[in-house]
Amino acid sequence: MMDAGRHPNIRLLTYSDVIDVSGYIGQFKVKVRQRPRYVDTTLCTGCGACVEACVYRKGVPNEFDAGLSKRRAAYIPLNGQGVPMKTVIDKDTCVWLSRGKCLKDCIKACPANAIDFDQKEEIVELNVGSIVVATGFDMFNPKRLSAYAYGKSPNILDGLQFERMSSATGPTKGLILTAEGKKPERVAIIHCVGSRDEHANRYCSRVCCMYALKHAHLVRDKTGAEVFEFYMDIRAFGKDDEEFYQRVQEEGVYFVRGRGAEVVVLNDGKLQVKAEDTTLGIPVQIGVDMVVLETAMEPQRDSDKVASLFGISRSASGFFQEAHPKLRPFHTNTEGVFLAGTCQAPKDVPDTVAHAGAAAGEVLSLLGRGTVVISPTTALVDEALCSGCKTCLALCPYAAISFIAQNGTGVVRINEALCKGCGTCTAACPAGAITARHFTDQQIVAELEGLFAIA
Amino acid sequence: MTDDQIRIGVYVCECGINIGAVIDVPEVVRFASVLPNVTVARQFKYMCSESGQKMIQDDIKHLGINRVVVASCTPRMHEPTFQNAIAAAGLNPYYFQMTNIREQVSWVVEDPAQATAKAKRLVSAAVARVAWHAPLQARKEKVTPAALVVGGGIAGIQAALTIAEGGYQVYLVEREPSIGGHMAQLDKTFPTLDCST
Repeated sequence: MMDAGRHPNIRLLTYSDVIDVSGYIGQFKVKVRQRPRYVDTTLCTGCGACVEACVYRKGVPNEFDAGLSKRRAAYIPLNGQGVPMKTVIDKDTCVWLSRGKCLKDCIKACPANAIDFDQKEEIVELNVGSIVVATGFDMFNPKRLSAYAYGKSPNILDGLQFERMSSATGPTKGLILTAEGKKPERVAIIHCVGSRDEHANRYCSRVCCMYALKHAHLVRDKTGAEVFEFYMDIRAFGKDDEEFYQRVQEEGVYFVRGRGAEVVVLNDGKLQVKAEDTTLGIPVQIGVDMVVLETAMEPQRDSDKVASLFGISRSASGFFQEAHPKLRPFHTNTEGVFLAGTCQAPKDVPDTVAHAGAAAGEVLSLLGRGTVVISPTTALVDEALCSGCKTCLALCPYAAISFIAQNGTGVVRINEALCKGCGTCTAACPAGAITARHFTDQQIVAELEGLFAIA
Repeated sequence: MTDDQIRIGVYVCECGINIGAVIDVPEVVRFASVLPNVTVARQFKYMCSESGQKMIQDDIKHLGINRVVVASCTPRMHEPTFQNAIAAAGLNPYYFQMTNIREQVSWVVEDPAQATAKAKRLVSAAVARVAWHAPLQARKEKVTPAALVVGGGIAGIQAALTIAEGGYQVYLVEREPSIGGHMAQLDKTFPTLDCST
């Protein structure tokens, strides 16, 4: 992470969104909107004085801790470890920016004079030869499955919340504690929350079994609590994963084969998990004081918009569609645009790194070649026949046609690098002025005649 | 060849038993060999294989074949294979027509007689079409020596570092105020329990 932050060939554009992509393989033009941080990053040293001074002491849920802690309006991302390690002022929380009334103690506190409430968004234009889309995943929100009672007790956590609790940089400094501040004595871990489920996602999210086993290990290791693992199948197919599964079994975790069906919050605040133990063939009820819902990876909420921005498609599950499931697993159908990581499908860390490295290899190959071959199977305009009616302009799905004004009227021209030779303009042209070089009228008529030449 | 006479080679693929078990391939070859402008028609177990491609290249060199029709599978996969093969033998790669007798015939038509009849029609159409093909020339365009990586999680960081190490400019765009993504939120990672950050 820090390597990427200080590499001389990498320019970081954080707090930024890609808003427009045009051009084609080898010559993309990209517009990026950089949102204001209200802090001059060239001056900010990340000392945190402004964070201390921020008057918004009530705080809002800290995204980085999956809501388990609070942050102020001014904060350094990643609980102070962000890259870049610079303050950001969240305009929706900041009292000055959202309500126009504040003592602005942050300005007084900043020794570097870095705070700038007049900062505006900036549009950055970039020229690139290739694009890697690595937009990642969203965590499934277990509120969508009401049987798990998520949100009804602070001791029902999702997978990411447990990660934060167990992390040394998290809200409990790595201690696994119930909301009452005690070590749990019995913990239930429920697999497949939001995956392999007709009511959520049908796909297997691939990583949850292994991180659930890791969570079981961490609970045993840090608290000694009894752990009940509710699973349908254990999918431990990665390198060294099966061995890890065996290790966790040996650590004394109870494995209950059956989907966790329901979590009940009892009157005394204790929790009860109901399931069918399919090996015993009986329904079971287990009382616990903490439940971890091992939630699935889902496509990012805005993946439809991102897909249309970069001209890529999505598979039935909503993840981005690779060009071929086996032979082109990090390519898209837009040449020069590649996929990396979990935006294509759920992946664990090693697979993500491998996928991203492979996508980078494709980019290096393309940039190293220095030139790209543009297919000649494009449309061609006979300018002597073109009446300049512009019928084709609006029809072109690739925005490859432009209008050239000439003495009161004009003609259209095709950008051959953008044209995919789909033939839409050819069929629509009322003057018959456009030919698809690889689908001429003669070729099509000959093909039809050939088709019906035999009885 | 110095003359501009059209000399078509037709190559019918058996695709193992994918095509050969349903379509009467020898019959399709016999039919194709007497179509107008056809100089030679052949069949082979796997036309996309090295030896299949060489068969076509040899005919271009020795029989002066100047138009090629391959009746096999979907062009999505192997059209570039055959176009590259005929280009390597000195023929313009657009003097080529592929017709799909696997997905559109042998995999979907159950009756062998009907399947064979349909395959013949498709071959006849491809032969008639390829006679009208023109030599097209691909163009080359320059590549801007820079890359955009969208997303600063572990995938984006890995891709950005690899490309940057190769000596190219990388723009790494992240919508959050810090890179790191979900990876930065994780505690230890399975199965080795090493730290994630």
